[in-house]
Amino acid sequence: MIANANTQRHVDVLIIGGGIGGLQAALDLADQGYQVLVVERRPSIGGRMILLSKVFPTLDCASCITTPKMAAAAHHENIELLTYTEVNSMTPGPDGHMVVLTRKPTYVNTDKCIGCRMCEYACATEYPDPLEEGLGSARAISVAFTNAIPQKALLNPDYCLACGLCLRACPTDAIEFDQQPRKETIRADAVLIASGFELNALTLKPQYSAAQSRNVISPLTLERLLAPHGPYGRVLRPSDGKIPGSIAFVQCAGSRDQTIGVPYCSRVCCMYAIKQAMLLSGALPTADITIYYMDIRAFGKGHEQFYQNAKAMGINFIRGKVSRIDPVDHDDLLVHVELTEEPENFLRKQRHDLVVLAQGMIPQWNPSEISPVRLGPDGFVVTPDPASPCATNVPGIFVAGVAAGPKDIADSIAEAGAAAMEAGAYLYRHHVADMHKRPQTVALDVAGNRAG
Amino acid sequence: MAGKFNSNRRLAIAEFGGKDVDLCMNCGTCTTICPLSEDSGGGFPRRVIRLIQTGRESKLMESLDPWLCYYCGDCTTNCPRRANPAETMMAARRYLTARYDWTGLAGLFYKSALAEIVAILAVGLFVTLLFVSLHGPVVLQRVELNTFAPVHWVEFGDWIMAAVLSFFLLTNALRMAWWVLGGKKMLRISPLLYLRQVPVFFEHLFTQKRWRKCGSEPGGVRWLKHLLLVSGYLSMLTLVLILLRWFQTDKIYPFYYPQRLWGYYATLAILYPTADFMISRGRKKEPIHLFSAASDWIFLVMLFLTALTGIMVNIFRVNGLPVATYVIYVIHLSIAVPMLVVEVPFGKWSHIMYRPLAIYLAGVKRAAAPAAGKSTGQAAAAVAA
Repeated sequence: MIANANTQRHVDVLIIGGGIGGLQAALDLADQGYQVLVVERRPSIGGRMILLSKVFPTLDCASCITTPKMAAAAHHENIELLTYTEVNSMTPGPDGHMVVLTRKPTYVNTDKCIGCRMCEYACATEYPDPLEEGLGSARAISVAFTNAIPQKALLNPDYCLACGLCLRACPTDAIEFDQQPRKETIRADAVLIASGFELNALTLKPQYSAAQSRNVISPLTLERLLAPHGPYGRVLRPSDGKIPGSIAFVQCAGSRDQTIGVPYCSRVCCMYAIKQAMLLSGALPTADITIYYMDIRAFGKGHEQFYQNAKAMGINFIRGKVSRIDPVDHDDLLVHVELTEEPENFLRKQRHDLVVLAQGMIPQWNPSEISPVRLGPDGFVVTPDPASPCATNVPGIFVAGVAAGPKDIADSIAEAGAAAMEAGAYLYRHHVADMHKRPQTVALDVAGNRAG
Repeated sequence: MAGKFNSNRRLAIAEFGGKDVDLCMNCGTCTTICPLSEDSGGGFPRRVIRLIQTGRESKLMESLDPWLCYYCGDCTTNCPRRANPAETMMAARRYLTARYDWTGLAGLFYKSALAEIVAILAVGLFVTLLFVSLHGPVVLQRVELNTFAPVHWVEFGDWIMAAVLSFFLLTNALRMAWWVLGGKKMLRISPLLYLRQVPVFFEHLFTQKRWRKCGSEPGGVRWLKHLLLVSGYLSMLTLVLILLRWFQTDKIYPFYYPQRLWGYYATLAILYPTADFMISRGRKKEPIHLFSAASDWIFLVMLFLTALTGIMVNIFRVNGLPVATYVIYVIHLSIAVPMLVVEVPFGKWSHIMYRPLAIYLAGVKRAAAPAAGKSTGQAAAAVAA
């Protein structure tokens, strides 16, 4: 049952996605005086970046960049954050875009919750923490993570036993087991899509045996393993907790491969693999680290030097696409590869303790199902006008970051700024400038069209 | 030895069906997925594709790799670029067949289906006219095939044809050996080494046993069907070449007599696999059947028709229909002869020679190489990406 609270509010810009791109755009627009609403489907803003360990090519701490942005957005007077909220539809109309949202139930009254975590400490049920890629554990009621924004508890009904321990622990009586999803309609003059990416399935290529071995892992899992506040606080392989002595990075495992429908390059895997390899050689100085690649695409500022540094550090770079990974005894993995640059003995079966698959970047969200926004054949939002690189096919709807195509953090932030600028200019042309010419109240006829 | 770079080579292979060579980005997935590449030491398909891409014709000519591939299609299924490495290997085999053939006819037939069809029709017409003008007395009271077409004359024709076709096939095979073994170096290899490897040739000619390792398909079903076809073909060859006087007779033996049973076996062993292969090529389910060149179809159809008309001769003869027997006999030979003339030395059928010869030559090469244990694919291996 969805309670239909017939609320309808107006904002200047609605931003879909509270990741680093969405937050950057929100701050840039809010600083220009526009009222911004950020809609985030997860319990906290911060997106993917807040979960990363460090960023390339500077090896800066990821959360040291993200957390201040998150806080700035949360405290900005022109920004409102709606977390744990999904977008149901976007309909362009004469008075802006009607955006219908569903606020998913957190089973905690966010007005009352003070983020004290008493409920979390009291909770008796744990489950694999999705934010730790399933390695750590989360309580059935908890604040999403230490530096989550908002600092509000959230109950996971899939694991909650309804034992009532949290009810008793909560000092403000904030827990509401009977919460229902709520619909909300927002009238927004402009919409900015910054819905980001997900990785295609680890098990997409059965040849890589990810379904058979826990030691075939996602790069995001490795980010958590490398993060100082990660699940183990050190790098251990998942199957048996062994310190991996030999780690392989399999590049293009989910991209540039027509057999899995991702013919494009995901653009970031080469660089983050190099970064992770560097961090690993810091964390595990005696480990052998090998990157199997087809081409190293180090095209950004400082990227080539970063690559050369990694080579100088002793990380093995082997040219050849891994065709198969077989699980072998002791939970190890046998990587089949042709060393394409070797004249002899080039068919290699290399044994590794841990294998990281460079999964492909695919769009997190498909706006074409609920709005007239058009996608390209690759699933990313189309920006038809090269002179207006952040504008979609729908006037007033803009796009930034990976929603428009694979890109790294720096490019996403730059594009978010560009999208904010385009959205700001659009708002000024169509609404602010109009405001000076036309009467303050606009009469509507029965059909909702502007009369006169 | 650096092969000469020839920027036009890619065009040349496209005419033989290798249309997707340019798509390959040399990732090596095909080579590691190939179940045969490792023990062949050749690094195919990728290193063959690389030779084609870089136009290193002489390297390709000395490579045995195309003949060591049995086209399971695992590489094509796994190719991230959909560059069809398996079909490129097939095209490389056609290309090599054309290059081995000094008459140039193989190249002509592979590049032009029309030329191949015209050649078949011409030879067929020649055979028909030969019979129309030179046949013996037509006995209508009963079937007297040996009066219509006296067996010693047919046998004479058989042997003439066998001699001519063998001449072409063997000279082409010699050219293959010449390139593979490095030209004049071939003469320096001890004759003993050549002799010692001879059993290998026949072993693989009769069994195609390397094929069993090929592909993810369970049980080697296709290998079995192909083996059946080979047994049918070799049976037929024996019957019409060596045992013709026994096989083509006006005497009607009882059904269980070996002369009839063997003939029926050979017929079925040809009809069933060829029909099956034609259906599979039409359905295009397995990678090997996705792409069918005209030469593939012509080969199968001719083989099928040869067996079909052959068994019809038998049926009409046994049932005492003289005219039908004589007519279908002429038709039978007008199909069988052009098929053999065109396909054996110049067409797809030449692989009956080249495949076992490739394994034989690989053995010779390995034995002749210094003890370092250089692999057969050493030539290809020398070409790193």
